[in-house]
Amino acid sequence: MSQLAAFIEEKRQTKPILSMTHVVYGYPSVEESLDWMARLMKEGVDFIEVQFPFSDPVADGPSIVAACHKALEQKLDVETCLSQLGKLANDYPNSRIVLMSYLNPMYRFGMDKLAKRAAEENIVGLILPDLPMEQATAYKDACKANNIDPVWLVTPVTPPDRLAMLASNASGFLYCVARSGVTGHSSHEGKVKQTSLDDYLAQIKQHASAPLGVGFGLRERAQIEQLIGKADIAILGSALLDAYNKGGQEEGIKLIKDLFH
Amino acid sequence: MQSENGFYGQYGGSYIPEILYSSQQQILHAFEEAKNDPEFLAELNKQWQQFSGRPTPLTFCANLTEHFGGAQIYLKREDLNHSGAHKMNNVIGQGLLVKRMGKKRVIAETGAGQHGIATALVAARLGLECTIYMGAKDIERQYPNVFWMKQLGATVVPVTTGAQTLRDALDEALRDWSSSHEESHYLIGTSCGCAPFPEMVAYFQSVIGNEVREQSVAQFGQFPDRLYACVGGGSNACGLFLPFLDDKEVEMVGVEAGGKGLELGEHSIRLSHNLGQPGIAQGFATMFLQDEAGQLQETHSIAAGLDYVGVSPIIAHLTEIGRIQMTYAMDDDVVAACTLLLKKEGIIPALESSHALAGAFKDAPNLPKDTKIVINLSGRGDKDIFNVAKAVQDETFPQFLTDYLAAYPTTQDHKGETA
Repeated sequence: MSQLAAFIEEKRQTKPILSMTHVVYGYPSVEESLDWMARLMKEGVDFIEVQFPFSDPVADGPSIVAACHKALEQKLDVETCLSQLGKLANDYPNSRIVLMSYLNPMYRFGMDKLAKRAAEENIVGLILPDLPMEQATAYKDACKANNIDPVWLVTPVTPPDRLAMLASNASGFLYCVARSGVTGHSSHEGKVKQTSLDDYLAQIKQHASAPLGVGFGLRERAQIEQLIGKADIAILGSALLDAYNKGGQEEGIKLIKDLFH
Repeated sequence: MQSENGFYGQYGGSYIPEILYSSQQQILHAFEEAKNDPEFLAELNKQWQQFSGRPTPLTFCANLTEHFGGAQIYLKREDLNHSGAHKMNNVIGQGLLVKRMGKKRVIAETGAGQHGIATALVAARLGLECTIYMGAKDIERQYPNVFWMKQLGATVVPVTTGAQTLRDALDEALRDWSSSHEESHYLIGTSCGCAPFPEMVAYFQSVIGNEVREQSVAQFGQFPDRLYACVGGGSNACGLFLPFLDDKEVEMVGVEAGGKGLELGEHSIRLSHNLGQPGIAQGFATMFLQDEAGQLQETHSIAAGLDYVGVSPIIAHLTEIGRIQMTYAMDDDVVAACTLLLKKEGIIPALESSHALAGAFKDAPNLPKDTKIVINLSGRGDKDIFNVAKAVQDETFPQFLTDYLAAYPTTQDHKGETA
């Protein structure tokens, strides 16, 4: 079992659902984002998902897009980010760090180097939403060699055979996108009817031995409750960023306490 | 040009969020079926002819030829398409494909607004709902096009993120598609994006080169010696070049936007002089203008339709293997080329197409007199009236605008504008 999956299993002994909270690295400044990550870990979130900003984040909605663009007003560097995250991982050993970004900045940094350096800094998983598994042979090998997990995404419209393929290949955890569209509130929210979340997660469970994380559009306690017993991790992204933008760290912590009490 | 699993050498591919996988596959299969269906092709040809006015002429430019004293200069008149640009070839093709797939709505990104108008035209004709994403800065630069899109019934959404230009509009169109994929088709305007878009757009645009093959033989008894096309996203270049790919004696020159200079941010040169670097973004791998950290950068051109940060993976590949030669034209040379065509031949070229003119005009005097060159005049220049007036420092234009505004009714109608 991968170290990420093992961590989830262990934590799940005492918690009905784990929390993964998203932070944009460098927003509004590098220092403030690191401070916010440290605070979240201190407050006991199980995971932080750190997004290394990219100029063209096509899977993200307005809140995260704006934060990424703001963060990119300063020069950001992958290597610096990794070593800063490594320090956090050391300081807060009860939480784990997953790095999310888009392909291009990571591709420029070097995929082998990324997997190696991430592992050295105790980052346990990588999420690249624009890298499909079919194009990811080298990336998968690099992750495997360094004992970290590439996290794959499935969605409510992923065809059954592909869902089976992705789910059975998942290690660490499988990121189950809860609905169509981009992250957070946006003008593009899906209007189409989709299968109920329960049916969707049950279908994934048939194929996946890895734990399940659910994200996209979570912002209420009832949604988290609905996931208990069906998923292992609830991923909080834009809602947390919106709270942070509204009232800083305190407002963010309040949201987390409301959702995960 | 057939791809290998969506790839052209190391470029192309499909790098999209998982949510779009099914829709991408649907387009892949629908296109594969359609291009082998005689009924679809017959309808496509009929619409090209009856709606867009194809075939477009190949026009010999006697005055320009004499002026330069070198190569014989011909123009492929894509400016004579309905909507005034080659964009129509593609939107008709994809529009028919949308009907075939049974979708009711199209989304498109636009830079100069040419693709936006073309999409809005075809959507109106085919009874499709239409949403156009356009950078807020491009809307400022190209308002007349926005005006027509709205009159045609399209919803024009200003994109205010990032640099507020074509790249941001493309991101936003992809985001819309991520939520609306079941009922909407993303009608990409150029031969970029995830597979099969580069191949599909190039296929629909290849009508340009296919006509030139027949027209050149009919008019001067041989294929052209050299072809010139401007390269923004690369669709008009693909359209002219690809049908000649196997005719090794036909040389091909692509002209990028040199803008104001070669500093990052001042130009849109991705394929020569080591200014672009390989990258993967916006759904595909190609040469992008980016910094060393892999962040895509801002671009510039006097022609809004050329300032895209990436380029067709087909053109990137053909450049890499040496089949296409790439050069660039600076803003000033472009305006000079535009002016020369106006004066010598009585044709008003788009500033985008004027890049191809500028590239060809540089070579023409040095080429033997029996050399036949064909320049793709991809669009007409009426839309550039404000920018050209400014560039040639027309003295009367500001007064005209002042007078016009003074007489303009003050209660403006904002219907159809959305945010």
